[in-house]
Amino acid sequence: MALSSIFGGAAPSQQQTAPASTAKAVNVKEQLKTQIAQELAVANASELVNKVTENCFEKCLTSPYSSGEEGCVDQCLAKYMRSWNVVSKAYVARIQQASTSGEI
Amino acid sequence: MSSITQNDLASLDDGSKKEIMNFLESENSKQKVQMSIHQFTNVCFKQCATNVNNGNLSSQEEGCLKNCVNRFLDTNIRIVKGLQSIQ
Repeated sequence: MALSSIFGGAAPSQQQTAPASTAKAVNVKEQLKTQIAQELAVANASELVNKVTENCFEKCLTSPYSSGEEGCVDQCLAKYMRSWNVVSKAYVARIQQASTSGEI
Repeated sequence: MSSITQNDLASLDDGSKKEIMNFLESENSKQKVQMSIHQFTNVCFKQCATNVNNGNLSSQEEGCLKNCVNRFLDTNIRIVKGLQSIQ
């Protein structure tokens, strides 16, 4: 799972529409899915912003605010996003390993 | 994009309702994974990011993050087992 997916990169892609559905039902259904996916993307983005702010505030703002800390915050953000990707890969690998060995 | 009305929802056929249910279920489980990743990153970044002078991860930091995730999960499994055994 890549970081891009939390910003809504993973659009709903199931196209198996039941033959009985009317065009209107299909429309409502797709709209509902898009709305849900968007809300989740927003929730994920705001969670990320909160966590990065918390962590980078801790790491960078040790004394009253000075412009030198802006660079630190930028580096910290980049590092946090890279960490997110590493953690995501490690976790997904672990889930896959557990599911193939029948642990879960 | 116009918003969905109560009527629109009520007029959905059973097949569509079922599809929406499945969609919600899969999004729900994806979201649980995402929230766990947020939590692990939060915990492990605190442990592993020794400095923020550089936006790139060093190989030690990367190894530390991977270990952190796996040890967190090991601990979690151990605790669940421990709780089960005292029941």
